[in-house]
Amino acid sequence: MEEAPKGMNERAEFLQQIRKSLGRSEPSIAPDGPPPAARGPADELMARVEAIEDLASADAEELMAELAVSGEASGWVVSRVADAEEAGRYMLEVARDLEARSAVHSLHDVVREALGGDPFSGTGIELTPVAVDRADEDAERESRAVLRAAMAGADLGITGVDYAIAETGTCVIIPASGSSRLVSLLPPVHIALIERGQVLPSLDELFTLRRRDFMNGDLGSYMNLITGPSRTADIEYQLVTGVHGPGEVHMVLIG
Amino acid sequence: MEPRTRQFRQGSASALADEQVQRNLEGLYSGFHSARITASAATANWDELRDRGREIKWHVIENLDYYLELLATNVERAGGKVFFARDAEAASNYVVSVANSRGVEMVVKSKSMLSEEMGLNERLESEGIEPVETDLGEYIVQLAGDTPFHIIAPAIHKSREQVSDLFAEKLGTDRIEDIEELTREARRQLREKFIAAGMGISGANFLVAESGTVTLVTNEGNGRMVTSMPKVHIAISGMEKVVPSIEDLGLFLRLLIRSATGQMLSSYVTTVTGPRPQEEEDGPEEFHLVIVDNGRSRLLADEHLREGLLCLRCGACLNACPVYRKVGGHAYGWVYPGPIGSVVSPMLTGLSDAKDLPYASTLCGACKEACPVRIDIPRMLLYLRKELTQGDSYPADRSVDTAERMAMKGWQASMSSGSSMQFANWVGRLGQSLLSRQSGSPGLPGPLSGWTDHRDMPELKESFRSRWKRLQKE
Repeated sequence: MEEAPKGMNERAEFLQQIRKSLGRSEPSIAPDGPPPAARGPADELMARVEAIEDLASADAEELMAELAVSGEASGWVVSRVADAEEAGRYMLEVARDLEARSAVHSLHDVVREALGGDPFSGTGIELTPVAVDRADEDAERESRAVLRAAMAGADLGITGVDYAIAETGTCVIIPASGSSRLVSLLPPVHIALIERGQVLPSLDELFTLRRRDFMNGDLGSYMNLITGPSRTADIEYQLVTGVHGPGEVHMVLIG
Repeated sequence: MEPRTRQFRQGSASALADEQVQRNLEGLYSGFHSARITASAATANWDELRDRGREIKWHVIENLDYYLELLATNVERAGGKVFFARDAEAASNYVVSVANSRGVEMVVKSKSMLSEEMGLNERLESEGIEPVETDLGEYIVQLAGDTPFHIIAPAIHKSREQVSDLFAEKLGTDRIEDIEELTREARRQLREKFIAAGMGISGANFLVAESGTVTLVTNEGNGRMVTSMPKVHIAISGMEKVVPSIEDLGLFLRLLIRSATGQMLSSYVTTVTGPRPQEEEDGPEEFHLVIVDNGRSRLLADEHLREGLLCLRCGACLNACPVYRKVGGHAYGWVYPGPIGSVVSPMLTGLSDAKDLPYASTLCGACKEACPVRIDIPRMLLYLRKELTQGDSYPADRSVDTAERMAMKGWQASMSSGSSMQFANWVGRLGQSLLSRQSGSPGLPGPLSGWTDHRDMPELKESFRSRWKRLQKE
């Protein structure tokens, strides 16, 4: 007979203890009744998704305006530009003010576009993209190490976003090729580029869309909601920014 | 953490005598408490959200076996490992065994009250593994060999001068008194630890059953570091943190964060579902979730106390409580202080070791009012008092003197009938000159002096019932 995997006895006993505490003897194969959902039944998920996508494009202008206000309230430096090219010039200004010598950037389409005109040319700023060489195991290990060192040493991190949330002034980053957990975290300054149509009214719409992604097997291993700079008030309630993450964050609204 | 719940009286006396602690405690009310009120007022349908949140949590608790199994299946489906730990020791053993088998020498940790409950740091140290707390408040508490004072602001009892002395002594820095500079120093010290650590240990604010997702709420970014930088990430969580669906997160994040700090959202909310798959660019190679009971099933089994498992650990009841705001977090003698701690701690440490805690409340109801899921803490404190004075469930605790037991019985009888309550009120008004020191009373004599020595009774001119009648007529 095959031995039970490690930890299976503990699991069975643990769940049995819960059943006993709840006064039940049989395992519950389904909850007693559907969960009182925060949003609505699972089988209406796709209808909710469609309504959200329509709203995000129909109300794009209002949502951008609302985000500009909530973003500023949550500590972002907010600016609005006409197009990706102007976003590139804005990035250069920030880099100059910082006297930045190096920057790392994600490969979100909007970032590629903003860097397309080579706004940093002649500045001597070293640019590192989030790209892992997957030719073979050794190459991959080596390239991950190099990338991580670049991110840890960079003066500036530049990313696009996947969504933004008007309710809370939040940028959302989820896994994709050329996207990273760390570009928006390790450098002391982060610039996030936001495009028209990416802004959702509230947290609820975000999680509905993410549930759809999950149903499609597309959740990925992480999601980062970023609302202003890294901050603490752990000593005498005094607000200090830039504890472990960036102390200065820029939200650039494009279009 | 070693429970010191027997020492509430000594602990509160020393907090009351400490001017620094008293000054810092005042900030809780003007800071967190008012911010919570502002944020909840700015949230559409706040009270409906509370009802909904409460309903969802109740549903989960009453079907906890089902949801935990679903959660475990989905964590495994995402490539993670799940371990169910009946107590602190089993949970710590698991963490240590993973660390040892991966040759881990140093662990970075983000704030977890469960880790304090487990005494995980002491355990790791005894195995030769260095645990490093990375939340600034917890880092200070760890350097000082202290325990958290507040679940949201662990080091809020310390002054900048004390932190400065501590850094000078433990880190060999110059004396820095500027808070911003102190924070920079912590950033420098901890950044190196994040880069070098072999393992990250985090807590969990919510566990999503349908997707196997762990959700973390932080402001400093240390939670992101801990879950992204080291090769191995272990999340430890109490078994009660489950929510059914990803779509429930918006609701619960609002309830938790707006009640905790009054922010619309914390700087960072991070979700983690399994380890990094091959196609992603960075993240840990291994993910483990340790689900811990450690006495929680005792709360679950007692239908009077089950409600305690709805707690989101926001700390709003601490900031609202007139007792906590004077005696602070250390007096309660364990990880979870304040009103909710007085309900939860006795069940986790044993009621006989926490006799004073159910009495560390005026039953004013401010905690219930502040609670984002409307936990009826006063009701549970009364229940625990009853258990202590006449209950059969905890026979070893029947040591409270007879006078108090009789008084409690009389109170119960009078509450349960209108006419005897009227009678009691009448007697009460007669007896007020005895109780109110404004009228020069020495307080109650003998065995009941504990009720009046530290309380003063306002003089009631009129009973509640007669006042109510009069106001209705007006």
